[in-house]
Amino acid sequence: MSVEKKEVRIAVTDGMLIPSGKDKNVITAWSISLIFAICSIIYLCVKNPDPYLDILKFLPDGILVTFQVTISAILLTIPIGLATGMGRLSENRIINLVASTYVEIIRGIPLLVQLFFIYYAIGEFVQLPDLTAAIIAMSVCYGAYMGEVFRAGIDAVDSGQAEAARSLGFNKTETMFMVILPQAWRTILPPVGNEFIALLKDSSLVSILAVSELLRRGREYASVTFNYFECYLMVALIYLVITLLLSKAVSIMENKLNYYDD
Amino acid sequence: MTTNPIIQVENVYKFFGQLTALNDVSLNISSGEKVVILGPSGSGKSTLLRSINRLEKIDKGHIIVDGQNITAPECNINTVRQELGMVFQSFNLFPHKTVLGNLVMAPMRLKKMPKEEAEAIALELLKKVGISDKAHVYPAKLSGGQQQRVAIARALAMNPKIMLFDEPTSALDPEMIGEVLDVMTSLAKEGMTMVCVTHEMGFAREVADRLVFMDHGEIIEEGTPEEFFTNPKHPRLKQFLEQIL
Repeated sequence: MSVEKKEVRIAVTDGMLIPSGKDKNVITAWSISLIFAICSIIYLCVKNPDPYLDILKFLPDGILVTFQVTISAILLTIPIGLATGMGRLSENRIINLVASTYVEIIRGIPLLVQLFFIYYAIGEFVQLPDLTAAIIAMSVCYGAYMGEVFRAGIDAVDSGQAEAARSLGFNKTETMFMVILPQAWRTILPPVGNEFIALLKDSSLVSILAVSELLRRGREYASVTFNYFECYLMVALIYLVITLLLSKAVSIMENKLNYYDD
Repeated sequence: MTTNPIIQVENVYKFFGQLTALNDVSLNISSGEKVVILGPSGSGKSTLLRSINRLEKIDKGHIIVDGQNITAPECNINTVRQELGMVFQSFNLFPHKTVLGNLVMAPMRLKKMPKEEAEAIALELLKKVGISDKAHVYPAKLSGGQQQRVAIARALAMNPKIMLFDEPTSALDPEMIGEVLDVMTSLAKEGMTMVCVTHEMGFAREVADRLVFMDHGEIIEEGTPEEFFTNPKHPRLKQFLEQIL
């Protein structure tokens, strides 16, 4: 009899459907969506270069800013989420309360409201570039969600693992970083990937903060040429392609982390 | 047998809510001694064993291991634990490390041992427990008996003075129990101080210097295997032995 393997999946948020690595079918929801999106973009640009090709040429700057916001926020969110998740599991009452209160407050306020608030709250004290303020606001918000994902992932590692590590003489920190987290990663990665995808999509909200990301670039183009429908169609298709590719990347990473079981 | 106890358990109490898991338990174990703790489930034997390396915090009393009072707040439990090898019922190997990785992790990190030296010792230990061919395999590929032997080797890699076994064969298929008990028996013959919680009566009879019988959180009888099996005194022990033998 071998030890029972615990299959843990954390419920997904509003990210994306992460394609399963075990699915060998060529025709999947993922591939259909991707081919649909790419073909539509190509078709529209070839059939009606004016305005679609013009729009497509106008948007790359916005895509870059979207990536900038998303990647910076992700890099900030991981340490915030890790600290929050460990704080939520801490036996120290004060640390636990601080972490829990942070999560509670952030989860109770819509992201759009938080963005406005943090943006203008920061503005009261320091003059930061719009982009920096937007990135901080996104990170503060997503740090709380990520904290919950980390907490669930750490909690899902069998308590015997910590006991074994502590019995060997490892202290709490060594146990966390050498034994618990390397295992928690596997459980955490799919929902973390989902949070990243959700973050990428929600980065469109910072368009209201005068940050010229993808959506705002589209709006800028449309407000000059009045091609609202065409602009937002292209913006939507580009978002779709990016999120689909990102979800594939997450699924590939997920498979890589499954190296040690059967 | 030396007279100087390496483990001293003095008037220990442990409560889980309303339940008294350990009720005024005292036990001295000498260096090199092999003690087997017996008792029905829920009698507190695992709690007692786990208290010895502070996986359970006791509520009253003292436990002194190798001269250090581990119940004192200023005690650095991490250094004491390096002297105490622990083997669990559910093995608890680190699944993200290979067998060799499991063995070298603690010596390299905690004893600052160079990798080559740690690996040489690890391979030696794997040979001793009879699975040197599985050094580069992940634990999920091993049978239960093999996993438990790796777990014993992992504990031994820190070169502990004392080994604690918490029902090491209870999660195993019957045909794998023997291979684990063989490893434990040979360890006992090398003079290791051992404290075992087990239901394996054959092992207890063969290896133990002293048997301890617990019920409802108390030690109600102690003695040599000879005394225990031929002339049990307490009626509860008689009843227990009748059921189990």
